[in-house]
Amino acid sequence: MDLSSVFFIGNIMNLERIPNEEKLSLCRRYYLGGFAFLPFLWLVNVLWFFREAFLKPTYTEQLQIKSYVKKSALGLIVWVAVLTTWITIFQHFRAQWGEVGDYLSFTIPLGTA
Amino acid sequence: SPEFLGLGCVLCSSVEQKIYVVLNETVPCVRLLNATHQIGCQSSISGDTGVLHVLETESDLDWILSSGPHPPYMVIMETAFFNRSVMMRMKNSSRVAGVAVIISKTGLADNFSPHTTCPNQNTGVESYGSDLANCNGTVWNPLGNGLSYEDFSFPVFALKDENQTQVLRKCYEDHNQRVNGSAPQYPLCAMQLFSHMHAVTDTVTCMRRTDLQNRFSINPEVLCDPLSDFNVWTSTRPLNNSAKGHAADESVVIAATRLDGRSFFWEQAPAAEGTVSGIVTLLATIQALYPVTQEAPPPRNIFFSFFQGEAFDYIGSSKMVYDMEKNDFVIDMNNVHSMLEIGQVGLLSGRSLWMHSDPVSRQNKSVSEMMSRIQSAAAGLKLTVDHPSVSQPLPPSSFQRFLRARRIPGLVLADHNTSFTNRYYESMYDDAENLNVTYPPGLTPDEQLVYETDAAKSLAEVATLVARSLYLQAGGEENNLNNITADPKIVAQLLYGFLVQKNNSWFRSLLPPEVTKKGVNSILSPGPPQFYIGLGPRVHGPAHSVTRFVQYILANLTGTVTNLTESQCQNPSELSTENKDLFSYFWVSGPASVNGTREPFCVRASVRLSKAVSPAFELLEYGSRNYSTWTESRWKSIRARIFLVASRELEMLTLGVGVAVLLLSLLVTYFISSKAELLFSSARETPTTTY
Repeated sequence: MDLSSVFFIGNIMNLERIPNEEKLSLCRRYYLGGFAFLPFLWLVNVLWFFREAFLKPTYTEQLQIKSYVKKSALGLIVWVAVLTTWITIFQHFRAQWGEVGDYLSFTIPLGTA
Repeated sequence: SPEFLGLGCVLCSSVEQKIYVVLNETVPCVRLLNATHQIGCQSSISGDTGVLHVLETESDLDWILSSGPHPPYMVIMETAFFNRSVMMRMKNSSRVAGVAVIISKTGLADNFSPHTTCPNQNTGVESYGSDLANCNGTVWNPLGNGLSYEDFSFPVFALKDENQTQVLRKCYEDHNQRVNGSAPQYPLCAMQLFSHMHAVTDTVTCMRRTDLQNRFSINPEVLCDPLSDFNVWTSTRPLNNSAKGHAADESVVIAATRLDGRSFFWEQAPAAEGTVSGIVTLLATIQALYPVTQEAPPPRNIFFSFFQGEAFDYIGSSKMVYDMEKNDFVIDMNNVHSMLEIGQVGLLSGRSLWMHSDPVSRQNKSVSEMMSRIQSAAAGLKLTVDHPSVSQPLPPSSFQRFLRARRIPGLVLADHNTSFTNRYYESMYDDAENLNVTYPPGLTPDEQLVYETDAAKSLAEVATLVARSLYLQAGGEENNLNNITADPKIVAQLLYGFLVQKNNSWFRSLLPPEVTKKGVNSILSPGPPQFYIGLGPRVHGPAHSVTRFVQYILANLTGTVTNLTESQCQNPSELSTENKDLFSYFWVSGPASVNGTREPFCVRASVRLSKAVSPAFELLEYGSRNYSTWTESRWKSIRARIFLVASRELEMLTLGVGVAVLLLSLLVTYFISSKAELLFSSARETPTTTY
């Protein structure tokens, strides 16, 4: 999520004045976009449409929006789990892996193993 | 080695100057790595801070390691406590932030050698798994405590300057002294040492990471550099430097010695008995031998070589042997007839000189012939020469690397029969005093330069013996021997220049004019030269100072004066009378005349430098077991400073008060902004009613 899309979101953060079909298509776009290895899109999807999906009174598109939000949340949790596990393993074992650890690293700290 | 830091702090904020007292001359211990280990010292990236405590008695040691209430401590260690047991206890304790060792002669123990008991045990000739490997036969350095080869995770600095030590002591006495056995109160005097080293684990890792950085990083960082410099060599008959490989019709006797030393600390190695005795003897030998070899040349050529880096697994000699085997040197192993090496020869004191060999070589007739030649050469001199027991192996020497390649006959001359007589081998205390080079008080520097101490006379005798033996070994006539005598005055000048003061009038006259004119960082800075090999021209500029001195002294002793101009001296190939393949040309300052001017001139000599870097780095075998793999880590800055620290409680209180003020101010701001109309409305009411 770069700075321009943040401002874009800021401009339409207020979902009040947007018709429901557009809300649904926005939610769908963010959901599909997250499959391109962009879990932050799913995070934004969950945070932004949470109120729409679960706290607003029912309207036609809400069911689909709810399903997209749930699936984004699931994907997000999977990503967080995988990344946390890998980062923990890497930080712990990089020094012991010697050569392999060095080839996997982008920046190797100076002066420590 | 240090990297360029950028602008120094010229207009520092005065608050910083009020807090910190920066220590100017720092002598650190740095990290060195080889194929499998790292040795030396490391600090944290932002320095290690500790409360100062002077270690003078056993109770101080107890205070630091267990009972003191303000850990971690920065230990100021008196000389007597710098030994293995105390340093190991510091290493295993978590309450020590760093150590600053006072280097002085008061309180110095009878012996101190931080080197190992068996120097270079894995790269000598006995590493083939024989019974004599690992000093099973003779322990060469029994007084060695191995401190230089330990890995410390805290910084260790040396305090050589008495004034600096006084500043530290005063700070300690003012703030940190215990009053009647009770603990001192905050604020306390603390010291922070910075010596963060970039390289870790071993040379293989560090070179791999350097390669990765060079290939893939935008801003490559070099982590370590191989130890390298130059060997110096010369010969009685000039050798064609452009013709590599086997030299036709040349049978060569090699006379060798080492050029370097080391100690626990970086760039500190006075190496008097360990190295200077050998250098001075070989230089005096060349001075004695050279004129006779020109008038009555012996059948064989005599090749003199000064090997650099021998303290670190024989860097220079392994490189020369490697070049010889690869046909990349002026001679090869087939040209070598025999070899005589000069080991530590300075502490004779009336006893005899010893000719070392090894059990396998002793069975060779050539070796016993060589011994008898040396003994006959000693006949007319006051020296006695003897050989140790037949079953004893060779001491650590460059000759071992030649033997590893081929069984050539050779001997190593030393003043010790079994283990070293040097009680301060490879330490900071192996200085002029250790060699008994002392001058009577009241002499000017120029008088000291030519004063012949007993050590000078003794080394001149040894040099005469070596020169005569070499002449005989090269097949020369016995009746010429009496013309071969080393001049004690030259030996005295060499000892003064290498042990006491390198910026003397004789050295100045031998060196090029640009060296004698340069400022602070020239190789002629005051004091004795240091013999640590260093990182060579790639990192430090032109060759090491000792290498330069030996090169120019040899040019002076063996060269001929020519009447070439300066530009002709730089480019002699344009002249038909001069031969750049056989000779080197040096533009030297010449002696200073009465009114201080010098008339430089060009000297032609067959003195050459050859690269001394371990073959492991050419072959890219960084984990090599056969060659030296020593590298020195790089670092950003090495400095030290002292300041007062407050107690942890006061620090936390200050932080807490600050956070509280922040929160309070946020609250007040929120409150005022929400009630803004009420607070600021009274001034605005009246204007609306005027229309």
